Amino acid sequence: MKAIDTALSKGATYAEARYHEINEFGIIVRNGGVIGVGGGLSKGIAIRVLYKGVLAFAATTDLSTEGVLRAVDEALSRARALSYTLLGKTPVERLSPAKIGRARYSNVVKKPLDSMDIDEKLRLLKELHASAKEGVKECKLATTAIEYTEQVERKIVVNSDGGYVDSEITRVATQCNLVLAHPQKGTANRFFGLGASSGLEVLKEWDLHARFREEAQALDNVLSRGIEPPKEPVPVVIGSEVVGLIVHESCGHPMEADRVWGREAAQAGESFVKTRGVKLGDRIGNELATVIDDPTIPNSFGFYLYDDECVTARPRYIYLKGVLNEFLHNRWSASIFNTESNAAARAKDFSSEPIPRMSTTYLEPGNQKFEELLEGIKLGVFVKSYMEWNIDDERWSQRYVGLEAYLIRNGELSEPVRNPVLEFTTPQFYSLIEAKDRDLKFYAAFCGKGEPGQAIPVWMGGPNVRLKSLFVGWR
Amino acid sequence: MEVERIKEIVASRLRNEGIEEWALVVERRRSSMIKIANNVVTVAQGWNAAWMELYAAKEKKIGYVGSMVSDEGSVSAALEKLLLSLKKSEPSPIYGPLPRAHGSPLSDLVDPRIVEEPNTVLEISSKIVDEAQRLGVDRIAGTIHFGYRERYAITSTGFEAVQPSTFIQVYVRAFRDENSGHWAWGSTRFDEDSLLSTVRKASEFATLKLPRQSIDPGEYQAILSPLVVANLVNNLAFMASGMMVLMGASMFVKHGIGSKPFSDNFTLIDAPLEKSLPHARGFDDEGAPCTNKPIIERGIVRNLLHNAKTANYFNSETTGNAGLVMPIPWNLIVESGSADLDSLVKDVRRGFLVLNNWYTRMQNWIEGTFSTVSRDALIYIENGEFKALSKQMRIADSFANIFSKIEALTRDSYDVWWWEVEIPTRAPYMLINSTKFTKPI
Repeated sequence: MKAIDTALSKGATYAEARYHEINEFGIIVRNGGVIGVGGGLSKGIAIRVLYKGVLAFAATTDLSTEGVLRAVDEALSRARALSYTLLGKTPVERLSPAKIGRARYSNVVKKPLDSMDIDEKLRLLKELHASAKEGVKECKLATTAIEYTEQVERKIVVNSDGGYVDSEITRVATQCNLVLAHPQKGTANRFFGLGASSGLEVLKEWDLHARFREEAQALDNVLSRGIEPPKEPVPVVIGSEVVGLIVHESCGHPMEADRVWGREAAQAGESFVKTRGVKLGDRIGNELATVIDDPTIPNSFGFYLYDDECVTARPRYIYLKGVLNEFLHNRWSASIFNTESNAAARAKDFSSEPIPRMSTTYLEPGNQKFEELLEGIKLGVFVKSYMEWNIDDERWSQRYVGLEAYLIRNGELSEPVRNPVLEFTTPQFYSLIEAKDRDLKFYAAFCGKGEPGQAIPVWMGGPNVRLKSLFVGWR
Repeated sequence: MEVERIKEIVASRLRNEGIEEWALVVERRRSSMIKIANNVVTVAQGWNAAWMELYAAKEKKIGYVGSMVSDEGSVSAALEKLLLSLKKSEPSPIYGPLPRAHGSPLSDLVDPRIVEEPNTVLEISSKIVDEAQRLGVDRIAGTIHFGYRERYAITSTGFEAVQPSTFIQVYVRAFRDENSGHWAWGSTRFDEDSLLSTVRKASEFATLKLPRQSIDPGEYQAILSPLVVANLVNNLAFMASGMMVLMGASMFVKHGIGSKPFSDNFTLIDAPLEKSLPHARGFDDEGAPCTNKPIIERGIVRNLLHNAKTANYFNSETTGNAGLVMPIPWNLIVESGSADLDSLVKDVRRGFLVLNNWYTRMQNWIEGTFSTVSRDALIYIENGEFKALSKQMRIADSFANIFSKIEALTRDSYDVWWWEVEIPTRAPYMLINSTKFTKPI
């Protein structure tokens, strides 16, 4: 509180201090051999002040009282210097009002991280190469690479508007790469990540042995027997893994309010909402296009109950029945748009400013079974997973290249398809949705944004989705 | 906290545990950043941070810890974490002893203006906006980031040195109506003219007076700007890290040392000794001497990038690119050619000048297949003349295909460093004979 009081006494209209500690443990395993074991401890204090319309941020690893007060002075000094120039005149004199909380919370951890010995974790990870091998028939399993991480993130955020939130989130994650080689067909890569805010109980749910076996089996099948997709436009069923990525890229990102205003223009780009003159209330897709971002889903990788400005979290309906409904805001962007923050402020660590971010972004599921999505399709393509993807910097034109994919013949999955390419615009995708199944699934990722870059944990998800006919390319 | 004290705590504790082999890196950094958007400063940021990385090996078991340093307690906590890791780990297939050959710091990497007159650098942000408006753009966005750092490396083999250096990174995106341009610059030294040249180049492309035209996807010639070349060779150089090869995330699994996947016109150098580029240094994190060396020389794969561990695994020698865990490129130089930009444009019958790109993602690391999306000016060229501006097409190809079709390179190179180019890169314009452009149809 001393930092806050000091900042206010020296003219700041808003001040915030965040103690932010991330304690990590990790293991790297390759082809069943332990490459190394290690960890990390990131710990420091972030200060943010608003002074005469200038937002300034300072971070320090010096946790002494003098060190923290020095950071306050540095932030104020930068703000003061810029406040005298026209360049410093931002549109924000005060942060927006918001439902500010005072709370202490943590996520539910049934099986603590130390409840399993490191030896046991090593044994599990080493065995996965053999599990993957079980799934391979015609190809050679060239590489399995696994990076396993445990993380405890502790934050205490205090601000001059009465906010005080002390939180502790425990997470478990793995990043995996499989490489298969075939003497005639070449190679295939499958990269996938798993992650949750959870204790070690999530390992049972992930069933890594089965997952590695199945991933290798699917890759073996598509590499050794994959064929070209049809050349004519066909109905496409997109798996929940790909759907989750699409809504993250084409709904979540373009609806981040700072991006809409242009704050990220030189980095992650702007938004079609700005560049194409679209506004809230405009239609982007059909009635089936409802996309929600919800930080409060238990176990979700980006779980939180209060954001990094102490604002109470809630689900955000970003697209609602095909209409642009709500931007993702922190209090700075909400002030520009003359609205209230909806608690999207997140900072990666003590060295990062809190900016509007996603948490768990997903397409609202439907009520059909997967088999019903395939019904009536004489010839089509099912794209279950992906490797390559990208989207332009206004979040309009995008591309996803399938990895595990199949032809659909007469309502049933048939031969594997290799590297089918989906390329469409944002309104095309949300207008082509024809049916959704009820099987809502989530996938973990690290989402990048900001300068310096802030990779933060998120979930992306949705059901399996059937699209009307479109052209499927081939790589 | 003094580095000497960190060293004492580390050396004493490890000695007591019977651990004879270790490497300690400590970095102290003070830096400032101004972010501009819509012609105003959106945030002024500053950092004062100290952190350490510690590697230790015992009976071929490898342990690593990275930690912020706030007090002696934080150093001790990091040590305990490392010791637990070592105790529980297993002999690593990549273990290799720390190098005995030692480097020494480079001199003249510190620009006193960055250290002593940070406000002079900050004041430049006003000049950038003024210059952009003088050049007729509507608005700009961008970043100025600068600072001073000291990187210490201390190892159990008797190496102990510090590499001080300053850095400055500037990039600007300029907008006029529907059009935008972008340019970037990075250096160890402050230079007002180079800094302002970013806004001049970005504005030059933003204010091009050409009609807008939608161009069909297909195979085209392409002039890649230094920004695009830098982004692509960043991806390529990361793949040259021995660790990426080991992990199956590299086209150099397939194209090993001595193979020739690229054109004679393509030489890519890892250049830590280039003093004007921001990541210049004389020694790596294991204390080994840094050297300039080709990753690719006249199309031939010459070097992977190694630390002592990956070198050991590949039965090679360290290349002075440690990363205590992951070998990394320092600075990159793409060897320039003899052409000028006008002559490259004249050589294009049907193609594009691609000013900028982002979101480069791989479909298959081993095959090196990827796509990347253009951003900012995408100039359609027909019969040697700029004809129109197009929008947001993507290049979908493979590294082997693109860099085996280099027709020509400009004589002039540019020092590029920005959000999408993490490793500072000196690159020319590059004419590619043919590559695939796609977009939704």
